[in-house]
Amino acid sequence: MLRRVWSLVIKEFIHLRNDWWLPAFMLIGGASELLLVGWATSRPITNLPLMVLDHNRTAQSRQLVIALENTGTFQAPQQVSNMGTIEDALNRGKINAAVVIPPDYSQQMVSPNGQPTVFVILNGAESTPAEASLRAMQGVAQDIGQQIVVQRLGLNPNEFAGFDPSLRVWFNEALSEALYTTPAELGLMLEFTVLLFAALAFSRERELGTLEQLLVMPFSSMEIILGKSLPVIIVGFTDFLLMLAMVHFAFGVPVRGSLLLLMILAFGYLLVELGKGLVISVISHSQHQAFLLVLLVGMGDFMFTGYAAPVEGMPQALQWFANLVPAHHWLTILRAILLKGAGLDVLWPHVAALAALGLVIGIFSLRFVRGALD
Amino acid sequence: MSMRHIWAVTRKEFNHILRDRSTLILVLFTPTLLLLLMAYALTVNIKHVPIAVLDYDNSPTSRQFVQQITAGQDLDIYAYARDMSQVEAMLMHGQIKAAVIISPGFASDLQALKGIPMQVIIDGTEPQSGNFAVDHIAQRAEAFVNQALATQLQARGMSLTSLQPFDLRVRTWFNPGLKSQNSLIPGLISMVLGVPALSVALTLAHEREHGTLEQLLATPIGRGELLLGKIIPYIIVGLINVIIIPILAIAWFHILFNGNFLLFFALSALFLFGVLSMGMIVGVFMRTQAAALALSFLVVFYPGFFLTGIFFPLTSMPEAARLEALSLPGSHYAIITRGIFLQGNGLDVLWPYAVMLIFLGIVFTLIAALFFRKKLG
Repeated sequence: MLRRVWSLVIKEFIHLRNDWWLPAFMLIGGASELLLVGWATSRPITNLPLMVLDHNRTAQSRQLVIALENTGTFQAPQQVSNMGTIEDALNRGKINAAVVIPPDYSQQMVSPNGQPTVFVILNGAESTPAEASLRAMQGVAQDIGQQIVVQRLGLNPNEFAGFDPSLRVWFNEALSEALYTTPAELGLMLEFTVLLFAALAFSRERELGTLEQLLVMPFSSMEIILGKSLPVIIVGFTDFLLMLAMVHFAFGVPVRGSLLLLMILAFGYLLVELGKGLVISVISHSQHQAFLLVLLVGMGDFMFTGYAAPVEGMPQALQWFANLVPAHHWLTILRAILLKGAGLDVLWPHVAALAALGLVIGIFSLRFVRGALD
Repeated sequence: MSMRHIWAVTRKEFNHILRDRSTLILVLFTPTLLLLLMAYALTVNIKHVPIAVLDYDNSPTSRQFVQQITAGQDLDIYAYARDMSQVEAMLMHGQIKAAVIISPGFASDLQALKGIPMQVIIDGTEPQSGNFAVDHIAQRAEAFVNQALATQLQARGMSLTSLQPFDLRVRTWFNPGLKSQNSLIPGLISMVLGVPALSVALTLAHEREHGTLEQLLATPIGRGELLLGKIIPYIIVGLINVIIIPILAIAWFHILFNGNFLLFFALSALFLFGVLSMGMIVGVFMRTQAAALALSFLVVFYPGFFLTGIFFPLTSMPEAARLEALSLPGSHYAIITRGIFLQGNGLDVLWPYAVMLIFLGIVFTLIAALFFRKKLG
């Protein structure tokens, strides 16, 4: 049996050699795309265009503008002379935020009971930069507020700790974006590689009419499935290793846990996705259909990896559904091993869930694919 | 160029799609289905974030503080920890997203106006809920400090706001409440409408894989006519989705739509022209559908998702990436969709982006036609 499976694997690889674009894209494509996307987007939000309308024009108001610039979130602020310019720029989407400093700003700063007020207008059409702007401005407001308090109460600035909670971030001390975005991107690209490759396995042969030929040969359906699966697993796992190296060496994501455990679980996860891909493969009449189904399934799963929105903030029904998504457990495991250094003692619920899902999907896909082939 | 020739190819392509009902349904509704799926998952409302409390002070003041920050539905106390190792374990297991550590001397430092000795720890592996918890705690802490020190301040003849004297008054235009879904969902339209481009890449490779391309070329149909005829069905598919999607976005997800629908429709047609031409280039180069599919994921789908400024602002990207983003029709279209949906912009504002879409569409079509000729030739 092994020899026959092997001959099928060889046949698949000959296919791949004749069309060498495909394996090249599958292997190198994911990793290089991850490099490009990670390089472009896993960084702090900076360089946002900001307008300032300073009615006060004193040393204090200039200090505020410099403080805003020093946050690193904004470009050098553009000073304007009237509200119309700001409104127009907001309407045109030219700026992400604007600051208006009222005429009595410096007066309120120095008077013993004064309350310096600053007006901020955010462009909500782009929510991510708007949130980053707000965060930066709140930070500046806090600092200035604290200085005023120290002055007014006559406190010793070295003893004064401020009336805001201090913050510490665990597992990602510098709160580096790369550490939480690139694992999710790796997850997406790995899933699509395996799903696409597996989904093309039978839909391609069926569309080209070569499936019949394969079926009349002295192969059992189990052997055909194995022969089709091995190349997917080899390519998928190599792709995973390449992308993991990328994430680690190019983006500085640490591997704090056991690399061996991560590889074993990655292998298991690949098998689960392979099962899904094979089911898509036999229910599709053409490669076109297989691709559209992969797109729907893959993007659906990606929503549960925490890239764009946290799962725990979703509607209750979706939170339950997330438990049925292998990619959700896989990402939890991936992040926990990479960043937290977690072991099986911590991860066993997710590993068990992944195994259970794998078992159900595996049995179903085997029966289904065999039924379709026989 | 003859309309009859183009129409003949278009009809043939339609027959392909229509012949098989499941393909028809998939081709027609994948963009809308994708958007529906993502929009539903992105409509998040963070609530009941589980936190741990480690109260070293254990005074009436600190207990009152804990009560105040956990009142309401935003934060839930998962457990009171006895020491740091318990907090550590809970963060490690992912049972809590944040922990509040109240230092010894919390009450006395507060009364002595030295500050509020406490620390918030968040899980940095997925910091969204943690950040939410921090903002919430900071807000409640402010109110608590003012309350706790009211009598002291009055004794010194100072107003209640003296401890947080700086007043930042924030207004958000175009998106009241700064809900991320209001901005993400219009942006994602540019990604889901890019899906037909992958179909275009597939159908061209399909003809070549099945050996029917030679047959087509033996007919009096010109090469440009062939390419045009092939993308028209997918422009129509795209435009059907352009009608369904805003209706869904408005009726189901309550996304604001402040602009002109006709303008949205017209500019969407321009976008489809641009993005489908990208798919055409891929289809021209690849011999098999599988390879066309893999390549179009790399050059159309992933960049259309990650590099068009939907999730990460273009202005913060490095210069070279921003240049690449400018060459993607999706970047310009994402500005257009947000502009029409949220800002209610008209052509007076959006014309540069429309011009870019036309320009990119023409360049891509020319590249596709040029290489189509060369490859055959």
